[in-house]
Amino acid sequence: MRREYTDASDAALVVSIGRYQQAALAEAYRRHAGACFGLAKRLLIDHSRAEEIVQEVFVRLWNEPNRYDPERGTLRSFLLAHTHGRSVDLIRADASRRKREEKEARQQAVGGYDISHEVWDIALAGHVREAMETLQQGEREAIELAYFGGLTYKEAAERLGEPEGTVKSRIRSGLKRLRVELVQAGVSIGAD
Amino acid sequence: MDDMAGPPGDIYDIDELLGAYALDAVDDVERDRVEDYLAVNPRAQAEVQAHREVATMLAFTGMDAPDDLWGRIADQIGEQAPPPGPELAKVMSIDEHPRRRRIADAAPWIVSVAAAAVIGFVAIGLVADRADAPNDPMASAFEAALADRDSVTTVLVSEASDASAEAVIDQDGHGFVVAQGLPTLPDDQTYQLWGIVDDGQVISLGIFGPNPELETFTVESPVSALAITIEQLPGVVSDGNPDGAFVGAF
Repeated sequence: MRREYTDASDAALVVSIGRYQQAALAEAYRRHAGACFGLAKRLLIDHSRAEEIVQEVFVRLWNEPNRYDPERGTLRSFLLAHTHGRSVDLIRADASRRKREEKEARQQAVGGYDISHEVWDIALAGHVREAMETLQQGEREAIELAYFGGLTYKEAAERLGEPEGTVKSRIRSGLKRLRVELVQAGVSIGAD
Repeated sequence: MDDMAGPPGDIYDIDELLGAYALDAVDDVERDRVEDYLAVNPRAQAEVQAHREVATMLAFTGMDAPDDLWGRIADQIGEQAPPPGPELAKVMSIDEHPRRRRIADAAPWIVSVAAAAVIGFVAIGLVADRADAPNDPMASAFEAALADRDSVTTVLVSEASDASAEAVIDQDGHGFVVAQGLPTLPDDQTYQLWGIVDDGQVISLGIFGPNPELETFTVESPVSALAITIEQLPGVVSDGNPDGAFVGAF
C-alpha cells in the first residue's frame, strides 16, 4: 500500500517510521537531510565523513524512533543535535583533524561572522545573519567556535584568550539574544 | 582555573553551562553533571531545547544532501530484517507525568464498556497487502498467532462508528490488532491501545498513529479487554479519551 507522507507532520512521520514505513523515513530525509549534511560538512570539512554522519543519524532514527519526543522539540532540531554531537565526537577523536578545524574556526572567528558564502536559499538566512550581527562580538565568536568549530567552551576560551566563565556565559547569553532577535523578526523557532 | 570546580550542587554554575551544553561544548564530566541536573529540572530542559532550536536556525544552509546518500541509507535499512511481532509495537515512548492519575481511577468508562462488549471468537483475515507479501515477518507472526489454539481473539467496536478492529493475543502475550478498518485520523491525532489487566487497572499498550494497519503489542499479564481511543499525538499516559472509543472483551 503506497502512502503519501508529504503533508504529514514530523510527529506522524516518526510514528510511521516506528512502524517500519520506509517511505516515512524517506520523507524525513527529504525534509532534513540537507541541513544535517550541511552542518556535518561545515564541522568536518570532509565530504565523505559528513555523508557517513548523516547516514548514521538517519539509520539511527529508523532503528530508534522512540528517542524522538515531539513534545521536546522539532524533528529537525533532534536530528541536527545528533548530527552535531556525532560530528564533534569525530573531531575530538581525531587530533590532526581537530587542529585543522580549530585553525579554520579561528580564521572564521577572527574574520567575524561571515556566512554569506553559504548557499542559503530562503529569507531565513537573512534573518539569521541579521540576528547574529546584533550579538556582541564576544558572543558571536564564542558561539561560532563552539558550534561550528566543535570546541568546548574551555577550548574556545583558550583560543580567544578569555576566561572560561566569560565564554561560557557568552554562549548562553548569545543564544538567548539570538532567540529574541529571531522571534522579533518573525522567525518561527521550534514550538514558538 | 576551571570555574566548574565548585560544589556539585551549585545551580548557578550549572545553569550557566546550559548554552555550552546545548552546543556540545562541554567536557564529559560537565555533561554528566548537566544531564543529572536536567533530569530533575524541567525549566533547564526547556532552556536547553530552546538553545538547540536556535542552533537549528544557525545550521540551516539550504544545502541538499548528496544524491546517492539516500540510496545507501535505504540499502542499509533494507538489510536489517525488521524484528517479527510485538517488538514492532514499540513506536513511541511516553514519559510518565506526575500529575496524571492511574487510569483505573480516571477511566472507568473502559471497564464498564468492556463489560458490556460482545465476547466471542471471530475469524480474522489478513489485510490484502499483507497477504500479498509472503515474506512479511509481521504477517507471518500474525498468522501464527491466529492459528494457535491457545490464542484469544476479540472484536473492538464503538457505539459511535460502524468501523471495527480485530485483535488476537497469543499465549506468550504477543498481540496483533487488524486496525486498517478504522477511519484515518488527522495528522495530529493517533489511535492508542489500552488493556484492562486482571486487577482492573487500565494500561497503555501502544500508539498506532493516525492511519493504523496491522499493529502489534505486548502484554505482560492477562488482559480481560482491549480498547482503542483517539488521542492527540503523541498519545497520553493515562486518562484515555472515551469519545468514540473501540472496545472489545475477551
